Amino acid sequence: MDVAIPFLLNSLTLISILLIVAMGLAIIFGLMNVINLAHGEFITIGAFTLVVVQAAGGSFWLALLVAPVVGYVIGLALEKILIARVYTNPLHAILVTWGLSLIIQQVLVLGFGASPQRVSGPFDGAVDILGVTYPLYRLFLIGFALAVFVATILLFKKTRFGLDLRASIQSSEMASVMGVNADKINARAFALGAALASLAGVLLAPMAAVTAYMGINYLARSFFVVLVGGAGSVGGVAAGSTIIGGLETALSYQVPSTVAQALVLVLAIIILRFRPTGILPA
Amino acid sequence: MSANIDHTPVPGKLAVSKLKPSILIAVLMLTVLAALPLFIDGYTLGSYRDILLLGLFALSLDIFWGRTGILSFGHATFFGLGAYGMAVATTRFGIDPYWVSVIGLLTGVGLAASVSLIVGYFMLYGGVRGAYFTIVTLALTLIANQIAVGWSSVTGGDSGLIGVPPFSILGYSFVGPAASYYLALSLLALCLLVALKVMHGRIGLLLKAVQDNELKVRTLGYRTQFVLLATFVVSATIAGLAGAIYATCTGFVAPDMIALLLSTEVIIWVAVGGSGTLTGAVIGTFIVWQLQQKISSYSVAAWPIFIGSFFILLVLLFPKGLPAFLMDKLRPGAKKEKAVQ
Repeated sequence: MDVAIPFLLNSLTLISILLIVAMGLAIIFGLMNVINLAHGEFITIGAFTLVVVQAAGGSFWLALLVAPVVGYVIGLALEKILIARVYTNPLHAILVTWGLSLIIQQVLVLGFGASPQRVSGPFDGAVDILGVTYPLYRLFLIGFALAVFVATILLFKKTRFGLDLRASIQSSEMASVMGVNADKINARAFALGAALASLAGVLLAPMAAVTAYMGINYLARSFFVVLVGGAGSVGGVAAGSTIIGGLETALSYQVPSTVAQALVLVLAIIILRFRPTGILPA
Repeated sequence: MSANIDHTPVPGKLAVSKLKPSILIAVLMLTVLAALPLFIDGYTLGSYRDILLLGLFALSLDIFWGRTGILSFGHATFFGLGAYGMAVATTRFGIDPYWVSVIGLLTGVGLAASVSLIVGYFMLYGGVRGAYFTIVTLALTLIANQIAVGWSSVTGGDSGLIGVPPFSILGYSFVGPAASYYLALSLLALCLLVALKVMHGRIGLLLKAVQDNELKVRTLGYRTQFVLLATFVVSATIAGLAGAIYATCTGFVAPDMIALLLSTEVIIWVAVGGSGTLTGAVIGTFIVWQLQQKISSYSVAAWPIFIGSFFILLVLLFPKGLPAFLMDKLRPGAKKEKAVQ
């Protein structure tokens, strides 16, 4: 038990973060067949929102509210100005979003410096769970992230926007024939993905080194999630996050974390050989 | 119908007419480069030698990306594997100096070739194409970089490895700028001319056909997955070769030789020269490298911003690549090549 519970909770921390980060990536990929290499930068933007809010005297909770709005607005603006022009060509989308990612990183370095930023979590301390002490903040993170994930699922299943979105993922042509405004759906889905990633950035910031380059590691992991799980489906994201997050946590107990990531990549590539569209495609 | 089912592809007029100018430009460029040491020497020649090797690296990417239309975001992995293979083999084991460079070369190139073979097999035979291929190779570079930084007992970590001896074979050592310059130039010339010859022949046509419609080509009886895998492995092997020789010329390896930024830069070199043109990749390397020196001397942070802006401009303004864009300006209405797919 002493080993099993921390392992389970550590896995859940990574899995719940991956759930909300990869959700945006998977939706954008499933909807528009566009790989958004700037997705990791929205995590960074979220974390830096926390830095700015706390530097201005605001609390963690304020940042948790502000960051998704910042992510949504920046995401919407970038979609309208740049991304909407490149949907037809996946390679162009890769180059444009990668360019964006480099620019955002350097602008943050110029604005805030390259050294890690100082942020603080809402509460320290640890609690006892079945005889094991575990940081309270991580428990909050797991609960909050899972709640956000469930809210996103409800958004997809119960609202008009979700219906239009799912219809567009299945067949964007048929959906637009039926009167779904494809441009509007694309823009909103992209901005929603950005908002989710920014939220994840705030959640991550108290337990990670906040630098301009922090997004890239989560970008790579989210890719594995989408690759292994399958693009455009909530089930795929859940399956992918569980496999990647659980596996990486399990491996990092035995080997250095870089080797664990390398092994996860190897596994993702092997899975692709047999299921090129992922375990649970849309 | 029976007349159409013919397994020998006839070299079309297109291939023949395209062959002449590109080989002409390649030969002209190589001649100018061969005469260069008559006019400059020392440090400047050394930096030109580095550009030649990076040009060889760009050529390797163009062989795969330009000819198959599948973008590899991980070519720095193979360049870095070549460099690190060479560095680790030559500095760590105390091998007889007579053979050390050859063993280092085989280690580096062998590493690049085997990693590309394994990764390429699982992806290309698994039907992974297009954007998926790009992001898996991107992740490959990311993780290779983390291993290069993290596994410091072997790779030297952040500071890398120093003391890689100059390349020597059968007792002859390529010491000094001029000797190593000609070594780099002859490797580049060999790879470039062979690549041009092959790509304008049957295999080039086959790759072009695969790029247009892989299913159709497979239906005609070609093993398209094998062709793509072979191209990928050859491309990665050349990248490894460039990396291994680069390490012997600079005398050290560092994690930025196996980093995402290098993977990004090599894409720019190829895109500026016009992807698929092969010679253009080398010319693009020359142009961008000069530009990079100027911009970096102004501000180190400016360079990534410049690369980022360049990608966006490339796609929005010159979606077919710079050369095609200029050609269009010069010859309005002329049929142009597809540069950036």
